[in-house]
Amino acid sequence: MAELALRMAFSLTQIVVVMGVIMLTIMVLTLAERKVLGWMQDRMGPMEVGPYGILQPVADGLKLFFKEDIVPAGANKFLFTLAPILALVPALIGFAVVPFGPDSTIELFGVQFKPFIISDINIGILYILAFTSIGAYGIILGGWASNSKYSLLGGLRAAAQVISYELNVGLAIVGVLLLSGSLSLVKITQAQAGGFWHWFIVGVPPDGWFPVHTQIFAFVVYVISAVAETNRVPFDLPEAESELVAGFFTEYSGMRFAFFFIAEYGNMILVSCIAAALFLGGWNAPYPGTALARMGFAQFAWIENVVWFAAKVYFFLFLFFWLRATLPRLRYDQLMRFGWKVMLPIALGNILVTAIAAYLFPRS
Amino acid sequence: MSMKFKTWLKTITFYEILVGMMATMRHLVNYKPITLQYPHEKRTLPDSYRGMLALLRYDDGTEKCVGCDLCEAACPSRVIRVVSSEVPGEPTKRFAKEYYMDMTRCLFCGLCVDACPVDALGMTREYEWAVYDKRDLHLNKQQLLAIGDRSYPVREKRLEFQHPNVAFFNVAFKSLPPKES
Repeated sequence: MAELALRMAFSLTQIVVVMGVIMLTIMVLTLAERKVLGWMQDRMGPMEVGPYGILQPVADGLKLFFKEDIVPAGANKFLFTLAPILALVPALIGFAVVPFGPDSTIELFGVQFKPFIISDINIGILYILAFTSIGAYGIILGGWASNSKYSLLGGLRAAAQVISYELNVGLAIVGVLLLSGSLSLVKITQAQAGGFWHWFIVGVPPDGWFPVHTQIFAFVVYVISAVAETNRVPFDLPEAESELVAGFFTEYSGMRFAFFFIAEYGNMILVSCIAAALFLGGWNAPYPGTALARMGFAQFAWIENVVWFAAKVYFFLFLFFWLRATLPRLRYDQLMRFGWKVMLPIALGNILVTAIAAYLFPRS
Repeated sequence: MSMKFKTWLKTITFYEILVGMMATMRHLVNYKPITLQYPHEKRTLPDSYRGMLALLRYDDGTEKCVGCDLCEAACPSRVIRVVSSEVPGEPTKRFAKEYYMDMTRCLFCGLCVDACPVDALGMTREYEWAVYDKRDLHLNKQQLLAIGDRSYPVREKRLEFQHPNVAFFNVAFKSLPPKES
């Protein structure tokens, strides 16, 4: 009983810490996106609140918190309320299986804990995929329940887009799963330990032969599909502001809007975490072991690992901003054609090649 | 064939997208904003800036306007409305008893200033005229004179040898710079 209570307390602490870090990252991201976008377009970005505008996320949050909560006439009140929650929860719940650092255990009061992962379940990636699919319901229902043509169009677009690109995400990671032989993100990350040449994106001799074992095609498919799945530029058709006002959340205001907003950024972080864990070795440094351990600070090596994980995640997040500053929006038929006629065959071909390669030359 | 191959190669390597991304990255690295933090720093206005309109006075404080209505006639947007009247006791002299400008319609073309035979209208360098009530932009003579007073501290000298009973335009005197037609 005492052990159970201890485990629950530890898990709760982990959840609070992870949620806090995610929320903090989202706050930083809202500012960082506007700043990076501004700098890339020869602007300054937000400059008014605080020095160089660094308190802008706080001001935005306060504004959204105190804004009037409007439910449009004719809206389905139940679904209208449910939709932001349905969008937000799946975006945050996926972090439960993401390993943020090494798979070490610590012992507290005679009970073993894993400090860098909330729950190491053996179907980790499947769990994330399942929950992100539920997130699509939030968008679709939000669009439908608003009783507005813009919202409905945004929701319809989101439905078609998220479903077609989710397929590509699922197929793109199959190659990695074949090579690592596990669905657990911890095991997948561990399979890539010992230097960047062991990462699944590379696939060179000790682990396989370059053109057949490399997952770089899957990686490109995954990144593009992840951008599409999080409804970001250039695939932001569900919220295309020049066509649909704001798409599926046109009618939302106040905290409900904030929920959708947090869900979008949470999804960005989640797909970045998955991309880092699956293709770029997760918390593994690009060299064998860690520099701190080699210098004799083995007990602090986890800091280096966590920093590497954060660096990889932030690289992807920066990529999101970079793409947004560069690319215009796709037309709808281009989006669909690209998803079904380009991404899907590449992902399927990758599965075929990787499956044969993994069968003939299995990773040790 | 080789051209086709090159196009294909560019497509599969996302060449065009990468070029675009390098362009945005170059702007990020050589970050040099072209924007001004407007309320805190303001741009230098050109000398010929055409801002808010104002009615002017002579140096002795009398209004320049002779109520000739030419500005009203020149205005393409029908901003100006002049109610002209005789100066009491001086039948040959007129003045603008009422003078209204509906600045919601003004397009700041400056035709009224050009049309004025006595240089009674001027364009100031004021441009921060956002108001909460649209009706606040319907200005009367007193308001327009006040704008002129604060924007033109140096006033034109009233010609002293002018006969008080003669309607008189001071445009042809050599002491004054000629009007641009």
